[in-house]
Amino acid sequence: MFGRKKRQRDTGGGNRRQSPWVLARQRLRQHRPAVWSLRILVVLLFIALFADFIANVRPIYCRIEGRHFFPVMQQYAVSLGLSNWKPPFNGNNWRELTYEKAIMPLIPYSANTLDVYNSNFVGPFDKQKTKSPRYRHWLGTNRVGHDVAAGLVAGTRTAMLVGVVAMALATLIGVLLGSLAGYFGDQHLRLSRAAVLLYLLGLAAGYYYAFIARSAAWMDGNLLIEIIKSISIIAACLVFCHFLIKWVEKISVLKKPMPLPVDAIVVRLIEVLNAIPTLLLILSIIVLIKRPSIFYVMAIIGLVRWTGIARFVRGELLRIRQLGYIEAGRALGFSEWRILWRHALPNALSPVLIAIAFGIANAILLEAFLSFLGIGLSVDTVTWGTLLNEARSQPKAWWLAFFPGFAIFVSVTIFNLLGEGLNEALNPRLHR
Amino acid sequence: MWKFLARRLLIFLPTLIVISFLAFGLSTCTPGDPVMLFLNLGNNPGAQLSNPTSYENEYREMAASLGIDKPVFYFTITTSAYPDTLHHFVQKERRECVRALIARYGNWPQIEHYYQQIALLNRKLFQVKGQASGEALTRARATLPFLYIQDKDPLIRYHLDTLQFAFRSDSALQAAAGAQFDALNAAYGRVKQEATPSAHWIPAFYWHGADNQYHRWLLRLLQGDLGVSYRDRLPVAGKLATALRWTLLINGLAILLAYGLAIPLGVYAAVHRGARRDRLIAVVLFALHSLPVFWIATLMIIFFTTPEYGMDWFPTMGVGDTDKGDSSWQVFTTRVSHLTLPVICLTYGSLAFISRQMRSSMVEALEQDFVRTARAKGLRESVVIWKHAFRNALSPIVTMLASVLPAAIAGSVVIEVIFGIPGMGKLTVDAIGAKDWPIVYAVLMLAALVTMAGILLADVLYGIIDPRVTLGKKKES
Repeated sequence: MFGRKKRQRDTGGGNRRQSPWVLARQRLRQHRPAVWSLRILVVLLFIALFADFIANVRPIYCRIEGRHFFPVMQQYAVSLGLSNWKPPFNGNNWRELTYEKAIMPLIPYSANTLDVYNSNFVGPFDKQKTKSPRYRHWLGTNRVGHDVAAGLVAGTRTAMLVGVVAMALATLIGVLLGSLAGYFGDQHLRLSRAAVLLYLLGLAAGYYYAFIARSAAWMDGNLLIEIIKSISIIAACLVFCHFLIKWVEKISVLKKPMPLPVDAIVVRLIEVLNAIPTLLLILSIIVLIKRPSIFYVMAIIGLVRWTGIARFVRGELLRIRQLGYIEAGRALGFSEWRILWRHALPNALSPVLIAIAFGIANAILLEAFLSFLGIGLSVDTVTWGTLLNEARSQPKAWWLAFFPGFAIFVSVTIFNLLGEGLNEALNPRLHR
Repeated sequence: MWKFLARRLLIFLPTLIVISFLAFGLSTCTPGDPVMLFLNLGNNPGAQLSNPTSYENEYREMAASLGIDKPVFYFTITTSAYPDTLHHFVQKERRECVRALIARYGNWPQIEHYYQQIALLNRKLFQVKGQASGEALTRARATLPFLYIQDKDPLIRYHLDTLQFAFRSDSALQAAAGAQFDALNAAYGRVKQEATPSAHWIPAFYWHGADNQYHRWLLRLLQGDLGVSYRDRLPVAGKLATALRWTLLINGLAILLAYGLAIPLGVYAAVHRGARRDRLIAVVLFALHSLPVFWIATLMIIFFTTPEYGMDWFPTMGVGDTDKGDSSWQVFTTRVSHLTLPVICLTYGSLAFISRQMRSSMVEALEQDFVRTARAKGLRESVVIWKHAFRNALSPIVTMLASVLPAAIAGSVVIEVIFGIPGMGKLTVDAIGAKDWPIVYAVLMLAALVTMAGILLADVLYGIIDPRVTLGKKKES
């Protein structure tokens, strides 16, 4: 995003090949493992996105008594509350209906479809009781008769979602805190005493009115709506205090500027988070949640794992802020914030990309391990980790150990390889 | 040196205090009521039925002995609707209920009155003897305790209606306690009518002093008392000490092994950098690095410890039983056979990480001018590599200990759970399953301490290995 903008602005026509991002892309293209990883990643993302069309007990299209149905599509409407199942369907009688014509998904089972005829660990090469080879369990079943292949497809969605959402959150926090710490250090973010006082006051008041004073609303209300409300209350309090600053600054004592030790605060925060082994921290937070859900897992991983990104950004900005063009920006009278966001930060983002790639691999591993332990997920969620865990109770079922683990291995590896490729493409030290 | 150590420890102090806030704060959010667990009542709200007064006394004593009848922290910031004496409601369920009622209606005096009326009616119901018929009285006695822990209006209504029905159906009961029931009904009506939700808009600050739960917890922590396990009432510290021994044993072995293998491997790859051998090593190490530990561990368990595939070479779970009478050789072989697979699993991940680092810092060192000078002097190649380049490439590897140690401890959670080794990781996961919270948060504190000790160790080693770093001076970050 930043790269494209920059290229259009400062290089224009003839010599666009010199843009560092174009060069980086070329170098990434030469890194063959990374290219292959990107291709596999596209496949995985495709599976994650269209999981319902790949593994589903519902037909994609079917004809019953001359009427046409699109049950997979209709399922989306039903789960959004826009529609409901009418006869001949009741929502879970898919395998009993007789279709005049049906286009089934590639794997005609959902992750939680029970195949009672093939329960109790039927292997891929065992004899299976299915009506046709079309309905064979190509990767076997587990104890209760879930199709492993369908479980893998559902797991792909969970893994990709966790990796991307958790790292998006981590990147947001990491880039924000890291850039503040690196660019301003302990001395250069100077606000008037009035501003510091009022912002702190606004934050405290916002927290008070968003959470403490509204505990009744938190008890009964919808979680998402309450979160949005609370954030807007905090924002409102801050904005209100922002407008008060001008008035309070009339007192000369409060007008004096003081440095904010952003760097010290952020570094201390990183130190605290790094001192606790991540897995233990995540475990001890996740067990407090009353209604487990994958979204809490994402949020917690994101809130805990931003330190690496913050450190990278901080380090880059410590270097960049010494450079001549920052000085030039100041001389031109740009505001500090403009220099930070428009000029310094875009040049500090290449290590972030690398850290994000490795971070996603890490987040996928963490989620897989948490579900392997059965912690933090609602009971009916099928993920790679839950499938792998079942293998422990039945050593005979090698397919339960091999396929989910292999899926985890592949997704972790491609993100690691991508990180490697990005590192080679973006790290200037390697090209001297 | 000592000055440096003292300064580092001083820097650690605020971090440790913040971590203690975190661990304690999380531990106060745990679901369930420990007193109930200790009284062997589980989550049974009807348990106080048989004899309310003796139950309450018992509860109060137990809560006092656990120290949870005190305010949680040095101060409370809350809204003006809450009293500063909320912790006097010793029973957790009731305290939560009162808190929820205040959150809803904001009028503490009326709620207090309503609560007193419940207690009065409860006492009265147990004083009624003989006159009332059994059925209505039993139902009234069974219903009333629910009012203590109910804050939602429809449910309170429902229980009040049930009570009313019981009183109506029995004139003797009505005569004995009817007036008290009407008072209760009226009290609840007033709670709802005279609600002052606006009281929540004014903040309040209460100072409790040092007599609070956190203070006690911290003091005990400093004395090495980590509390009592909810499950078997044994001291947590003892359990942790045993578990920590196993965790340190397998991690120590794994880290030693990883460093022992990674350093020659990294140096070898760096010396032959760019050659096919180097690339082969890189690919293999990368594959090892990407293999999820718990996958490999599960596969190992399945293939090497069960007779299913004809490779039943290792025992499956645990660390093996040893009797006191066994010779040390026997103990040793049992341990080795049990610990081989876990240590392999723990080793291979960090092996890849460390040798990649070793290779890159060695490559950097080999390209320095002084190496060329050493070669020009005609020194033997092995001297050049090990005496000149290697010593200069070593410091990043040593500082990496700081990040390898916490990673290993976290990684060993996985291994311990899968291989059934009674270390800290397995202890934690088992404690989570059994809702044994003191253990979970003690482990959190201890893991932080071990990690910080690792960081300190790395700093000190850094100074010893690299004479350019003087420990007394403040390093640039």
